[in-house]
Amino acid sequence: MARITHGLSTSHIPAIGAMVDQGRTDEPYWQPIFEGYQWTKDYVAQEKPDVVILVYNDHASAFDMKFIPTFAIGCSDEFRPADEGWGPRPVPPVPGHPDLAWHIAQSCILDEFDITIINEMEVDHGLTVPMDVFFDSKDNKTPAQWPVKVVPVAVNVVTYPPPSGNRCWMLGEAIARAVESYPEDLNVHIWGTGGMSHQLQGPRAGLINKEWDQRFLDLMTSDPQKLRTIEHIEYLRETGSEGIEMVMWLIMRGALQGKVTELHRHYHVPCSNTALGHIVLKNEVAETVVA
Amino acid sequence: MTQTMPRDVAAYLAEFDDIPGTRVYTARRARQGYHLNQFAMSLMKEDNRARFLADQRAYLDEWQLSDEIKDAVIARDYNLLLDLGGNIYFLAKLFSTDKLSFQDAVSTMTGMTKDEYFAMMVGGGRSPHGNRSIKGGY
Repeated sequence: MARITHGLSTSHIPAIGAMVDQGRTDEPYWQPIFEGYQWTKDYVAQEKPDVVILVYNDHASAFDMKFIPTFAIGCSDEFRPADEGWGPRPVPPVPGHPDLAWHIAQSCILDEFDITIINEMEVDHGLTVPMDVFFDSKDNKTPAQWPVKVVPVAVNVVTYPPPSGNRCWMLGEAIARAVESYPEDLNVHIWGTGGMSHQLQGPRAGLINKEWDQRFLDLMTSDPQKLRTIEHIEYLRETGSEGIEMVMWLIMRGALQGKVTELHRHYHVPCSNTALGHIVLKNEVAETVVA
Repeated sequence: MTQTMPRDVAAYLAEFDDIPGTRVYTARRARQGYHLNQFAMSLMKEDNRARFLADQRAYLDEWQLSDEIKDAVIARDYNLLLDLGGNIYFLAKLFSTDKLSFQDAVSTMTGMTKDEYFAMMVGGGRSPHGNRSIKGGY
């Protein structure tokens, strides 16, 4: 059967993709940002996930104001990069896994988690930047083809109210149940992306809260249940208006049902307007079950 | 079931205006800014970007926008556009059309120069201290 073996999280700052595309990752400002992903690149290359369930938010690219799905799942064969105003990023199309995606959609709906099904969608930096930081070569070149299939899970964190942290956690649990009931033997990763503290708008823009971010990272393993009850107003006050993206990390964390071990962490300020956060979590029980 | 947040809409929204220098993109703003944000989305196509840059006023006249919004777009007054219901991810299509990075565009909303804002970020960003609550002053 399929199993979720790891949960990864990372910020998905668009400038990271721009620096990869422009070959500027060695500049002094950017070097430590990319350096913090080197460990993970080696680990993921050796670990070879078959599928990544990639939780991200669309930044007004595939979804405009006409439709606002709270949770949506991409069921296509592939997802092409969106034109966010600079022309589409020169990265390969992201291959989907329609069979697993449709299985998760059906399982979640029967589990009383009504998720929107998407058959055609372009993906923006929210999805392609995490692909780069984990799958690019060690000298930060995008591969000709991505070495994994992706099931995108898009979450509305733009128009209020976004889903609560608790609801995100519960979706993670429902996704984990769906994966466990998929018959094919697959090594599945779930990635929660976005965050950490940042505000991109108004006179308070540039807000960064290192202490709060570090506590959030610590709680991922020390007392994860506490993360479920963080209210939107706390994210807004403490981590800036765009810090709300961290609810997406809770979908990842809710999907890890076993003993969770932190393998790697990378935290750096600033990356453009943002506190960059990245963590690698291993889901121990899933490994044991397979053995 | 665990209740982790207010379930009442008014109670949920009540505290948002207490956050200094921040416009939370609520339903009210989303409704107010619908056409502004949809205009911004149209700039995801190269042909539209070229047409907009060639004659901004004529392009804006094709949309159901007030003169105040059109003037604010032409002035690239992003704080005013937020007040008029714009959302930053939609407005990003406008500053990307100008080939402005997120960081440089965001700096224009802070009353700082581009270089001052950059220096603040390199110095660790804006502190949350005193920036969490207007009423509470913490």
